[in-house]
Amino acid sequence: MKKDEGRQGKVLKERFINRRGVREAINGYVFIAPFLIGVIIFQIYVFASGFYYSFTDAQGLNPPSWIGLANYKQLIHEILTGGEFWRAIRVTFIYELGCLATQIPVAFVLAFVLNSLPFKKLQNILRAAFFVPVLINTIIVAWLFRQLFNPDQGLINWLLGVFGYHTRIDWLQNQTLAPILLIIVSFWQWTGFHMVYFVSQLQTIDPNLYEAAKIDGATPSQILLRITLPLMRPAVAYVMVTSAVGGLLVFDVIFMLFGGSSIGIFGPGNSAKALVPYIFDKAFTSEFRLGLASAAGWLTFLIIMIVNIFQMKVIGLGASREEE
Amino acid sequence: MGLAANSNVMEIEAEKLLSKKIKRRVRLTPGRLIAIIFLCIVALIYVYPIFWMLDGSFRPMIEIFNLPPRFFQFGAGWPHLNTYSLNNYIKAFNDWSVGTSFFLSVLVTVTNVALTILVTSLCAYAFAFLRFPFKNILFYFILFSFMLPTITQISPYYKLMSTLGLTNTLIGLIVPPAISAMGVFLLRQFYIKLPYSLIESALIDGASHFKIWWNIVLPLSKPALAALSIYQFRGIWNDFLYPMILLRDDKLFTIPVRIKLMDSVNFNKPYDAIMATGFLFSLIPIVIFLIFQRYFIEGLSGGVKG
Repeated sequence: MKKDEGRQGKVLKERFINRRGVREAINGYVFIAPFLIGVIIFQIYVFASGFYYSFTDAQGLNPPSWIGLANYKQLIHEILTGGEFWRAIRVTFIYELGCLATQIPVAFVLAFVLNSLPFKKLQNILRAAFFVPVLINTIIVAWLFRQLFNPDQGLINWLLGVFGYHTRIDWLQNQTLAPILLIIVSFWQWTGFHMVYFVSQLQTIDPNLYEAAKIDGATPSQILLRITLPLMRPAVAYVMVTSAVGGLLVFDVIFMLFGGSSIGIFGPGNSAKALVPYIFDKAFTSEFRLGLASAAGWLTFLIIMIVNIFQMKVIGLGASREEE
Repeated sequence: MGLAANSNVMEIEAEKLLSKKIKRRVRLTPGRLIAIIFLCIVALIYVYPIFWMLDGSFRPMIEIFNLPPRFFQFGAGWPHLNTYSLNNYIKAFNDWSVGTSFFLSVLVTVTNVALTILVTSLCAYAFAFLRFPFKNILFYFILFSFMLPTITQISPYYKLMSTLGLTNTLIGLIVPPAISAMGVFLLRQFYIKLPYSLIESALIDGASHFKIWWNIVLPLSKPALAALSIYQFRGIWNDFLYPMILLRDDKLFTIPVRIKLMDSVNFNKPYDAIMATGFLFSLIPIVIFLIFQRYFIEGLSGGVKG
């Protein structure tokens, strides 16, 4: 905004009082009106009414009545006593950290190896192959993996058998395996995406830097540690920040991966009921508790904001220090 | 000055020559060969689930779950394409009205992308080129709205939509996601880099801002619009939660909800028809990706959805 103030500067300020300025202002409001009205209706109003409902016992079609902090008290109580909401938070963070810890390092290694290949054509083909899962709907991905991990007719158990491990693993009905399964599916879907982004960033590094380092007698591992990694740090930070919120709001993959079985919509014993599934469950499937769902939604929003601020502080500051 | 510039040019030329020489010396060293084999194997494993869906979409139900997979039963008759048929696709279209759902998915996505472009680019134009009171405050307001994840307030959202009479309508799927703050930022970032003299000279010629937006700014911002369209396309094409909540009538189901419906049959689950539908549905983004590859990274990195 500063930029165009400087550009138009005084002229515009003087012009502002005359007719053209008024016309411009009217134009401005007309131009932003559709968007602004949309934001107010579909976001601000929704969040505001959710805030109101979170203090009521709104349920189904009953008229809501004020119950103060009771919904929040229940949720806090669940957090403190290891109840349902606490389990939702826990599984969300297990999923989130599992995704970050597996996808980003593997994506980086793959990108590094791919980028070191001097054959452009091959590079493009491989890059496209790794990118394809990103293009497939999460619903379909989860459905495919449910078939692949089917204990009796799935490919995975059969492959384990081929390699000599004959124990029948019941992937879809095991409470401890459920979050791991989610991490595996997410890994398959997103690693290629991160890799392609890393490759595009690796290609912005000046090749002369590598040449100079080689002439100075640096070993390949030194080049990786001293040149590539520091220069890639902003890219890694960017991927972490942008994928974090999506991970905290995970829903589709959980709903579809376990949805077909009879042992709970969100995994065996609801062991994969993350935050959004928890809200969904309270709002639609079990009790239609609009008030409690809204309160849980506000707490989830709060958690996301805290994670965001934490990331900005830790990763954001780290990145800017690198630039100095 | 001139001399310095000249020597700079010479340096660049020399570098170009050098890098050309380096490129020419590319050889297939053992290390590179290992890297290539490694990457190819990983890539093949990686695309296997998609290949399985493609292969299964043409096979009869009994062969889909063959182990080892029918395609990999080497020996006589490999790759066993004699059982291939379009029956699964026919079943999907006839028994599960996948054709209607497909049309609805395309309709919802295309109208939403068009609407998003109109609404967000008008708004971005105002924030980039026009002056009006409270401009900064309004911009921060939109910035703030960007951080509100509506999905956390899914029940008040549903209540609002049913008050507005937008549940069980396509408009309810098309209009709300068009309010994309991400689009406003992306386009505004692009617009402020355009030379302001373009706007000014058109104004002097007597053009209205609306005309300038439509005739000058929109055609100039094609790369940014392409990135935004891809971002928006992916979001709406794959949208599942909102259609599932908002649509009651299965005549209005888009493909993701249709697949969920097909999958919820417990007796004689139509695995074959689901595979055909899934593959057909995935084909469109893949084709679009192959055509517009270069816009994809930009368009997708705007927001990664889990």
